[in-house]
Amino acid sequence: MEQLDPGLARERTKLAWARTAIAFTAVGGAILKKEPVAGLIVLAMTPLIWGLGRFVGHTAGRPELQPRRLLAVTVTVVAVSLLAMVIAFVGHPPTSLRDLLPLHG
Amino acid sequence: MEERRAARDGHDDHDRGSSHAPTEPDARFTLANERTFLAWNRTALALVVAGLGIAQLLPPFPGVPWGRHALGIPLIALGAAVSVISYAEWRRTQAALRRGAPLPRSVLPRVLAGTIAGIAALSAAVLLVSASR
Repeated sequence: MEQLDPGLARERTKLAWARTAIAFTAVGGAILKKEPVAGLIVLAMTPLIWGLGRFVGHTAGRPELQPRRLLAVTVTVVAVSLLAMVIAFVGHPPTSLRDLLPLHG
Repeated sequence: MEERRAARDGHDDHDRGSSHAPTEPDARFTLANERTFLAWNRTALALVVAGLGIAQLLPPFPGVPWGRHALGIPLIALGAAVSVISYAEWRRTQAALRRGAPLPRSVLPRVLAGTIAGIAALSAAVLLVSASR
């Protein structure tokens, strides 16, 4: 097998993290106009994900950290989608527990 | 340093040339796995935006007041599901890489295709119902 420079793969992976961070900006922007607070919260995920992405290739000595970085991405995406679901259902972010009840009148 | 993992593995004849940790896969495969995971999560976020757009930006279907929610909310839920499944698949693939085993097939393309087809069919149904009202 050719021994290609893994540096290129690292660079591609860093770019993938950047694209993922930017995807949060897209979601935050979509929410921002109608729900500024919720939109800002989602936008704030962008630098978080960006920060996680900076560790590409640096956890080689501690591979057990890898799952946590990626799990953090999944947790964030699921949290954002739950927020989006409430906004889609109710028309605004949850302001009280009643908004989270499944059968909202 | 990786003795624990090597002892569990049993056979290390799939060493890809790395001089240390024989069960730690080639960095390029690990990175490719990571990029795949991130790509699925971007897809998940795109589904969330799509669902949100449908629920919030479309004018209501005449005669079908719940129409936008019936279409938008499954898309958002699909986004969450894709993200969770992609993490599980990342772990399975990473484990397979360590063992030198064949990589597991991803269930996500079928899940995505099936759900989107279902939502498309539902959209057609909602449109038909609202056109008849």
